[in-house]
Amino acid sequence: MIHKTSPEVGGMGHPLRRKEDLRFIQGKGNYVDDVHLPGMVYGQMVRSPYAHARLKTVNTEKAKKLPGVLAIITGEDLAKANLAWMPTLSYDKQMVLATGKVLFQSQEVAFVIAEDRYTAADAAELVEVEYEELPVLVDPQKAMDPGAPVLREDREQKNNHIFHWEVGNRKATDDVFQKAPVKASVNAFFQRCHPAPLETCGCVADFNKATGKLTVYMTSQAPHAHRTVFALVGGIPEQNIRVISPDIGGGFGNKVPVYPGYVCAIVASLTLGVPVKWIETRSENLQSTGFARDYHMTAEIAADRDGKMQALRVKTLADHGAFNAAAQPTKFPAGLFSICTGSYDYPQAFCEVDGVYTNKAPGGIAYRCSFRVTEAAYLIERVVDVLALELKMDPAELRRKNFIPPVRFPYKSSLGWTYDSGNYEAAMKLALDKIGYAELRKEQAEKRKKGELMGIGISSFTEIVGAGPAHTFDILGIKMFDSCEIRIHPTGKAITRMGTKSQGQGHETTYAQIVAQELGIPANDVTVEEGDTDTAPYGLGTYASRSTPTSGAATAIAARKIRDKAKKIAAYMLECSENDLEWEPGKFYVKGAPSKAKTIQEIAFAAYTNMPPGMEPGLEAVDYYDPPNLTFPFGTYACVVDIDKGTGEVRVRRFVAVDDCGNIINPMIVEGQIHGGLTEGLAIAFMQQIDYDESGNVQGGSFQDYLLPTAVETPHWETDKTCTPSPHHPFGAKGVGESPNVGSPAAFVNAVVDALSHLGVKHIDMPIAPWKVWNILKEKGVIS
Amino acid sequence: MGQKIEKTFSVAEPLDKVWTFLSDPRQVAPCVPGASITEQVDDKTYKGAISVKVGPTVTDYRGEVQIERLDSQNHEIEILGKGQDVRGRGSASMKMTGKLRTLPNGDTEVTSVSEISVVGILAQMGGRVISEVSNIMFGEFMKNFQARLQQPDASAEVNPIKATSVAWEATKGLFRGKS
Amino acid sequence: MAKKQLVRVKVNGRDREAEVEPRLLLIHFIREILQLTGSHIGCDTSHCGACTVLLNGKTVKSCTMFAVQADGGEIMTVEGLMKDGQLHPLQEGFKEEHGLQCGFCTPGMLISSYALLQHNAKPSEEDVRWGISGNLCRCTGYQNIVRAVRFAANKMAAAEKKPEMAEVAK
Repeated sequence: MIHKTSPEVGGMGHPLRRKEDLRFIQGKGNYVDDVHLPGMVYGQMVRSPYAHARLKTVNTEKAKKLPGVLAIITGEDLAKANLAWMPTLSYDKQMVLATGKVLFQSQEVAFVIAEDRYTAADAAELVEVEYEELPVLVDPQKAMDPGAPVLREDREQKNNHIFHWEVGNRKATDDVFQKAPVKASVNAFFQRCHPAPLETCGCVADFNKATGKLTVYMTSQAPHAHRTVFALVGGIPEQNIRVISPDIGGGFGNKVPVYPGYVCAIVASLTLGVPVKWIETRSENLQSTGFARDYHMTAEIAADRDGKMQALRVKTLADHGAFNAAAQPTKFPAGLFSICTGSYDYPQAFCEVDGVYTNKAPGGIAYRCSFRVTEAAYLIERVVDVLALELKMDPAELRRKNFIPPVRFPYKSSLGWTYDSGNYEAAMKLALDKIGYAELRKEQAEKRKKGELMGIGISSFTEIVGAGPAHTFDILGIKMFDSCEIRIHPTGKAITRMGTKSQGQGHETTYAQIVAQELGIPANDVTVEEGDTDTAPYGLGTYASRSTPTSGAATAIAARKIRDKAKKIAAYMLECSENDLEWEPGKFYVKGAPSKAKTIQEIAFAAYTNMPPGMEPGLEAVDYYDPPNLTFPFGTYACVVDIDKGTGEVRVRRFVAVDDCGNIINPMIVEGQIHGGLTEGLAIAFMQQIDYDESGNVQGGSFQDYLLPTAVETPHWETDKTCTPSPHHPFGAKGVGESPNVGSPAAFVNAVVDALSHLGVKHIDMPIAPWKVWNILKEKGVIS
Repeated sequence: MGQKIEKTFSVAEPLDKVWTFLSDPRQVAPCVPGASITEQVDDKTYKGAISVKVGPTVTDYRGEVQIERLDSQNHEIEILGKGQDVRGRGSASMKMTGKLRTLPNGDTEVTSVSEISVVGILAQMGGRVISEVSNIMFGEFMKNFQARLQQPDASAEVNPIKATSVAWEATKGLFRGKS
Repeated sequence: MAKKQLVRVKVNGRDREAEVEPRLLLIHFIREILQLTGSHIGCDTSHCGACTVLLNGKTVKSCTMFAVQADGGEIMTVEGLMKDGQLHPLQEGFKEEHGLQCGFCTPGMLISSYALLQHNAKPSEEDVRWGISGNLCRCTGYQNIVRAVRFAANKMAAAEKKPEMAEVAK
């Protein structure tokens, strides 16, 4: 049962204004580039212009002579210390600084350290590198061909195939397809894009030669995991490493991997004994750090003539670039892509994914998508629309017919996931009512007679977040639990620390609200800290919408442990038995005699001044939470677009987002997350792509070409919700940060295709830029 | 990044004179701003260098120029130039076909089709900058070609084009669209 | 290395000066020499606006200016918004309307909004969106930022009215 707390206490459901805002609005945030330490020097990367080449010589003589240059590290230098290669989060390895060859344009070749960043940049220009160009592979299909040049000569396997992964019942699925009266299929390419948080990646590595302690200020979404990786890779005792993630200017998955810049800065600091700062430029960020997606997917549905889906068959080619640096749970090289059965009940399904190397930046990461869930949701929502076209059925109607009904939960999908809860039809009904679906269809019919183009797109997605249960989930062997410790002070205030790390999600407020809910201590009396590995309990960090499902749960459990102890103290103070006590947020009172009560503040004071005999003093608890399952947020997004026939420009007229993330901690913060994620989805659907030409030159390597929407392109978002609590989560919450980025691309694309489907258009790959639409209109004879 | 550029211009000189000039890389190369032939390897192959300045970025390419085809009957020449930046900033290659034709007034028309491919930092700026740079370079080339034809003994004091003019032209080009 | 030049500026009301290389960018001057780290660097092509400051009353992207170009001028950064320990209505608005999440774009947004409200005290939603179109945000989707700016506009308009009403009441 969730008690209602007063606004002063600010527990669950209150749109509490954020505590962290005060420093940000005054320009007093503490981001990594704001860190300034005495004696600090600057590092700059020298990068390869070639996508594939033998590295012949690296000549640092001229650069070293420049006044102000302290050192230059090359791959050869690192190789001597066995550091030229480092493990990736996918059990592959990645070059820190190139030796032997380079494998993607912008790959790290040397690291220059100088007194200031301008000198470092000058010196980087003076480093002379000799390359011998090799044939470039940027087409993943060609990379899979038997005769293709082998990119990774360091591997035993002499080809570019990284992994093959499959799940489901291939034979049973194929049988259904053999007999199925109706089939629909789509080839959908989810283009390579990049999270591009506004703050780029960087660090200040500070090795204190006197104490032997290494402190790394880092843009890290997972500080503890990074600390452990540094300890294992660098051979530094883990207690001598402190990773501090201060304020982070957006992550979206980009700040989960370990980048060569961090390693080089650490090595430089270890060698020079001074703090070394490395902050990448935006171009470096876009061209070399964790990209997302690049999935070439095919989906097929086998169905009955009346639209009941019988089987789903999916095949995907995953382009991972030069190194498999994907941040995925170990057992899932394609992440949670097998959620691609989506919100629908498929008696049979089969899914296979093949990963391949190409001469592109390494990756991929989960860009606001909980490990490939965006790819999966996009694919299923697109192919369902294609089936609707095939059956000449309304897409909403087709979905309704195939949704997993509420009675079937917990639902085991044909690809192995047990969905904890869901109520898809209710979410869709709310979204369609809100957008006026029936009226819009009438309007569309009218407009079509006049040759005007408008479309309505639906996306009824299911998310899978909160990785994850220890029996299945680990990254580099570390299980994906998370943690919280809470300490109540004598005066009834509290400090709490978690193993997650906010990059804007508002944890300093929301976690405090959980404590407020569980203990009745006002949220403003609760300090929340994250990101310092010396003080915070071990956790796997914030990404994949996992904070609320894991650390949020740990917070509730730890608070309940405190409440249990508080009850004993209260019973002692009130001279009654625990069984006589009732709880309401903030106090224990005697059943039937509510005036006989002790507030949590009084109890806290007593924990230090008047403990029951034999009881350990203090009032604190820690919990490491191993979630029993993932959580499954869901929703329906509905989008209306109008297309300008003259320019091919697509205008989003309305967008309604109905999200179900179970019980909500702070509705204001949830709404903000939805707005942000939808905007990222809009950018992906219409504006963004990181592409490579046949020579391996990056196209989209700066904001000149990699487009971010401004306030002008971004439409007004209409949000609403349904509430289907997670049955296994301590307070029924599910996590929501990524849903909007997961569910929206399909809504946009479905809307555009819907606007053109009467012309025979079934699918358009993203980004749907005006020139693509214009070409289609020309091809279909709509414009001459 | 591949670019195809076609240019036609005429010179007030007889065809034979122009052909002799055009078929000798040691004469033609210096007409390209920032370019020079440093060595002749054999009758078809030369070593050369070219310095290209785009804004503040200077790329010094060093490489080879090869005469792929020399057709004295039809007055067609095909040259392949390939170079790598000395500091390792990238590479570029250009295949150029030059064809001559006599015009009614006795002048010679030169038609050139060039296919340029760039790898590296320059290529990231996209085709727009490359085509603007190529246009400017070709403009200079034409002027120098005509000048040197008329005064073959004049010392080839041809400098890399000014950074400011390239940057300005390139920026104008971004707004002007294809010319 | 070029000879250093003296740059004298008034920043948030205080006179500051330093000897700098002519090529030092204004944003680096502000962040590293003046140690005002509120203004941020988010890109290298002057698209993102995280470095936006006011120079002689106009918004500029300080990553695309040299410090020497600001010599003799007056600069306001986000650190100069508060007056006498009171938050500016814009700062209040951003907090009240949840106009920030990671906070990285916020200083630039605040300066751009400040400049907008100087020109247009009653901006419509569209006015605000155009007014902040030079500032990129990855977290908020802009919707709450628009609310925040209009909150500030309303608050500032109400404050203007109060003295007038006092006159009327007399």
